[in-house]
Amino acid sequence: MDAIFHAEELNVNYERTPVLWDVSFSIPKGLLVGIVGPNGAGKSSLLKAALGLVKPLSGKIEFLQQPISRVRQKIAYVPQRQSVDWDFPITALQVVLMGRYGKMGWFGRPRRADREAAKKALEVVGMASYADRQISELSGGQQQRLFLARAFVQNPDIFLMDEPFTGVDLTTEKEIIELLKKQKQEGKTIFIVHHDLPTVEEYFDWVMLLNTRLIAYGPTSEIFQAANLAKTFGKMPTVFDEAASLCAKKMSGYL
Amino acid sequence: MIDYFIDPILRAPTWGCMLMCLSSSLMGVIVFLRKKSLLSESLSHASYPGVVLGVAFLASFFPFAEEWAFLVVLIGAFGSSLLGLYGIEWLEKKGKVFPDAALSFILSVFFGVGIVAASALQGSHPSWFKQVQMLIFGQAATMTDIHIVIYGFLACFIVLFLIAVYRPLQAVLFDAGYAHSLGIRATWLERSLFSLLLISIIVGMRSVGVILMSGMLIAPAVAARQYTNRLPIVFFLSGLFGVGSALIGHILSVEGSLHWSTPESRFSLPTGPFIVLVSTAWALFSLCFAPKRGVVFRLARIFAFRLRCLQENILKYLWKKKSSSSKDLHSLHRSSLFSLHWVLRRMVRHGWLQKKCGSYELTGDGYQKAAQVVRLHRLWEVYLTHSLGREVERVHKNAEEMEHILTPDLEQRLTLLLANPKKDPHHQPIPDKYSL
Repeated sequence: MDAIFHAEELNVNYERTPVLWDVSFSIPKGLLVGIVGPNGAGKSSLLKAALGLVKPLSGKIEFLQQPISRVRQKIAYVPQRQSVDWDFPITALQVVLMGRYGKMGWFGRPRRADREAAKKALEVVGMASYADRQISELSGGQQQRLFLARAFVQNPDIFLMDEPFTGVDLTTEKEIIELLKKQKQEGKTIFIVHHDLPTVEEYFDWVMLLNTRLIAYGPTSEIFQAANLAKTFGKMPTVFDEAASLCAKKMSGYL
Repeated sequence: MIDYFIDPILRAPTWGCMLMCLSSSLMGVIVFLRKKSLLSESLSHASYPGVVLGVAFLASFFPFAEEWAFLVVLIGAFGSSLLGLYGIEWLEKKGKVFPDAALSFILSVFFGVGIVAASALQGSHPSWFKQVQMLIFGQAATMTDIHIVIYGFLACFIVLFLIAVYRPLQAVLFDAGYAHSLGIRATWLERSLFSLLLISIIVGMRSVGVILMSGMLIAPAVAARQYTNRLPIVFFLSGLFGVGSALIGHILSVEGSLHWSTPESRFSLPTGPFIVLVSTAWALFSLCFAPKRGVVFRLARIFAFRLRCLQENILKYLWKKKSSSSKDLHSLHRSSLFSLHWVLRRMVRHGWLQKKCGSYELTGDGYQKAAQVVRLHRLWEVYLTHSLGREVERVHKNAEEMEHILTPDLEQRLTLLLANPKKDPHHQPIPDKYSL
């Protein structure tokens, strides 16, 4: 199988608690994949580990069989909307333009082509008229569209999106999904951290059920079943829980 | 006045202060936007023991090299605040200490060590002690032209560096995780920014002093942020405010010293407190009076909104009752008699109301305006019950507020969404938008 996103025995700790434990998977190209699990299940950490923002304790995680540093240009990360300060002095267009900073390098300046691309991306997400607005004036849904436009302007092969639908109205959510489905048809692969169960079957081709361990992954119709969901959202077996936390404490020298 | 810039003795302190404050107010923007203002406080205090130890070293081994003291001061301060920075990082990461605890721990430990070392120096080398003492509150008067060159070079370097890395810097400040995902190495940038921050603190110390240094970093940035939403302009204004307060503060301290000096005793006011007072006073003024974000204008807008609510409530009341005396209106609307009369008079003047035999009535235009308020109120009630499924009895109170908030744009969207309803949930008619 030609895997675009691949992990082997990945372990990630935050201080004393394990957030990802022995996670292995390989996911092929051209899919819309939902990463589903309860709060604190390590969904965001999986994306962060994949991007190299969090250093795994052991194991490996890679895109296109290459380490992340080689493929950064092909990946667009859409962080959680709450992760930034929306009172920051910057306009919508400048946020979108950031999508091109990776290519510009340290001392580059945006060219006219970059500006045009940023404007077009704003147009695609339906925010052309907000280009010069200060970002604090935007609503939650508009802020999320802005992040999406920033990802589009990178022209990536892979999207990694962290909870793009929190605090977003239903119309925006549907529009974003439509835009992403169009991207998929162009051969892009999209990973979305998602927590709204009723929409999973409608949105995603594949699903990964995550709760510290990877419970199951594969085509939504096969995987998104009551038994698997009970395992994902039910309390973890206490022995496992305790053992995992013991392991993390030992590793970081608290025991 | 012009003497402050060209006179061979006076010019060095003036230019020195201005260049120092330029560097620190530019770096202050970064510290402020990263919400790390306390860090600068800790780092400036942490530089003090290095200063004292450096001077002590020079005093013991090269007692005749007093003109090189400033260089030793720079190096010592840099070393010890760098140590402080590592200390804070170590405490946070390895020691699992909360950031504020780590910051205050380093601040007090380092500054304490500095004070102890300084008193030891006072005993052994009293003449050198002055060099060290001066840095606590800053002393610009003894600067010479060589300082202008050094501080000018540093200020230029900081400006050029900021221009060169402006874009990656903006990305890292706004969204560090995303910047990292693009391959912008935040750690590299962070290291260079911290070095520059340390340098600007150390350079600024000479004019502002260890204790007040963080005020000089933060105050211009706070003031600048009030006036603009553009990052380049925040930098520009912050630099401008920094230079301005340095100039004014320095002149005040010199003039003050001259004013209070008598032929018998020379009196010298420290430069630092004056500069910091000027810049914090300006920051305070900006927080109150900046056009968009200033507290005073926001209070004024809130007050204006209250009056508008009162006006719209009066319109609505008269729309239902046809006429009413000001006494009835006062008992119904919880507002001061003064603002009620003010609003009533304004409404008469604007042509919404007319006074007949001591009671108020709506004019034709006023009737239209009132109908619009009622329309918004009832539209919102329909929206709450039909679209959001609230119970009919519980929608009135919320609509009382929203009728003042809804914009024409929102009204249009509601009309479209609800297919221009004719009745509200209480079976009252909704006034039509175009009922002229």
